[in-house]
Amino acid sequence: MTIHLKIWRQKDSNTPGRLVDYTLDDVNPDMSFLEMLDWLNERLMNEGKEPVEFDHDCREGICGSCNLVLNGMAHGPYEATAVCQLHMRKYKDGDTIVVEPWRAKAFPMIKDLVVDRSAFDRIMAAGGYISVNTGAPADANAIPVDKYNADLAFDYAACIGCGACVAACPNSSASLFTGAKISQLAHLPQGNPERKRRVVRMVDQMAEEGFGDCSNYAECEAVCPAEISITSIAKMRREYFNALSEIE
Amino acid sequence: MSKAATFLNSQVGRKIATGVTGLGLVLFIIVHLLGNLAYFAGPEAINTYSYTLHQLGPMLWIVRLGLLAFFVYHAWLGLSIWLERRRARPEKYEVYATRGGASRQSWSSNSMILTGILLLLFVITHLNTFAFYDFATITHGGVEMHDVHARLTEVFLHPLYTVYYVVIMVLLGMHLRHGVWSAFQSLGWMSRKTNPIIYSIAFVLALIIAIGFIGLPISIYFQLV
Ligand code: HEM
Ligand code: SF4
Ligand code: FES
Repeated sequence: MTIHLKIWRQKDSNTPGRLVDYTLDDVNPDMSFLEMLDWLNERLMNEGKEPVEFDHDCREGICGSCNLVLNGMAHGPYEATAVCQLHMRKYKDGDTIVVEPWRAKAFPMIKDLVVDRSAFDRIMAAGGYISVNTGAPADANAIPVDKYNADLAFDYAACIGCGACVAACPNSSASLFTGAKISQLAHLPQGNPERKRRVVRMVDQMAEEGFGDCSNYAECEAVCPAEISITSIAKMRREYFNALSEIE
Repeated sequence: MSKAATFLNSQVGRKIATGVTGLGLVLFIIVHLLGNLAYFAGPEAINTYSYTLHQLGPMLWIVRLGLLAFFVYHAWLGLSIWLERRRARPEKYEVYATRGGASRQSWSSNSMILTGILLLLFVITHLNTFAFYDFATITHGGVEMHDVHARLTEVFLHPLYTVYYVVIMVLLGMHLRHGVWSAFQSLGWMSRKTNPIIYSIAFVLALIIAIGFIGLPISIYFQLV
């Protein structure tokens, strides 16, 4: 099949970028979107041109590395699908696809389609951890967790930290990511010791990094490959309110 | 900074404050709507309603100042959230589209700042037309009071003012279509189950409020009452 691509090319954060047209006339419908980009890059390199820089790792929807906005939608048009899991058979012969990076002040441009998502790491470092004793590993299931909370915690733990929620949000808010991390630990006894400090610090860090406020558009839930619900954001707000005593 | 200031300046605190002030204004608007309905019961009913309110004295002023504070704070929060949004994405997408599905992006949610600012401007003209107006007086049951009924009738017989008012009430309905649902989410009163229920209730409430406010000017203009 033939696919027309308009790909964002940008040398670095100091050089303005632009969309560049590429046409591939022999795309195999069974290729994933990223395999098609590999295919394009192989050609570009054979022609002595600079390949398109893009992030990827597991290519099975679990690592959160891939980050492409296709025709204005983070991870492309299909729900619960990271872009590495999107296959070209979902497109029609002759389709045009605009490929852009995540755009947010808190995710600075590195090159082409690659942005720096370490702001998420700093939100995690601010409170997305639990304290455990070092030494021999504890017995599994030594701390009982009821099924209701275990299920909810598991749903929230599904977040792969890709940043699509920020990319799709009209406000560039990181509330879904941060809410998922806070809610996951708030539903587990292991999360209790740092519970209040965690939410205050992570919410602060979110603003510090330059992410926008949340206007409850819920676009994040629509694009999230892990189907994290915005109830995690509601939960984060309850947690924050309950942590008033920890606020300085 | 004090605890309260830190809380209110945080991204979560700002949303909680937007929700509280927004719902406070919605409560006021519902009371205002019920008051308007007194027009349909005749001059004596609405004039006496207005008279009774004015007899509240200091209480009335406390409520007025509270309302003003809520209104100004709400508008300021809305504006600052919008400014923050512009700062948070300096380079725009060449192509942007909503995914649909769980997304609550709509005419209503995407125009909150516009409908909000128009409501702000409306309220200023509205106070000028009705609150700061030098009313004629009328006597009901031996008590002299403002003839609010006459003023309302006079104003809404003007086609331009009536159209203006009706348009603004449609915008109010739009603001509340997203706003009411959004406030519940902002206050954390949301679960996976209640999310669609509250979204539907918000639509019905916005519709009732808009239609309720539109009913009065339309009835007066077409001389149905
Ligand atoms: C008639 C008066 C008004 C009522 C009843 C009202 C009601 C509401 C409600 C219930 C919300 C949802 C709050 C939340 O999401 O937490 C809201 C949000 C909002 N309001 Fe109003 N509002 C009014 C006037 C205004 C004015 C005068 C402005 C601005 C100049 C404004 C701007 C906004 C904005 C921008 C939002 C969205 C905030 C966000 O992005 O999260 N509103 N309003
Ligand atoms: S919440 Fe969803 S969209 Fe956001 S980082 Fe986690 S997996 Fe990605
Ligand atoms: S490459 Fe790992 S999730 Fe897409």
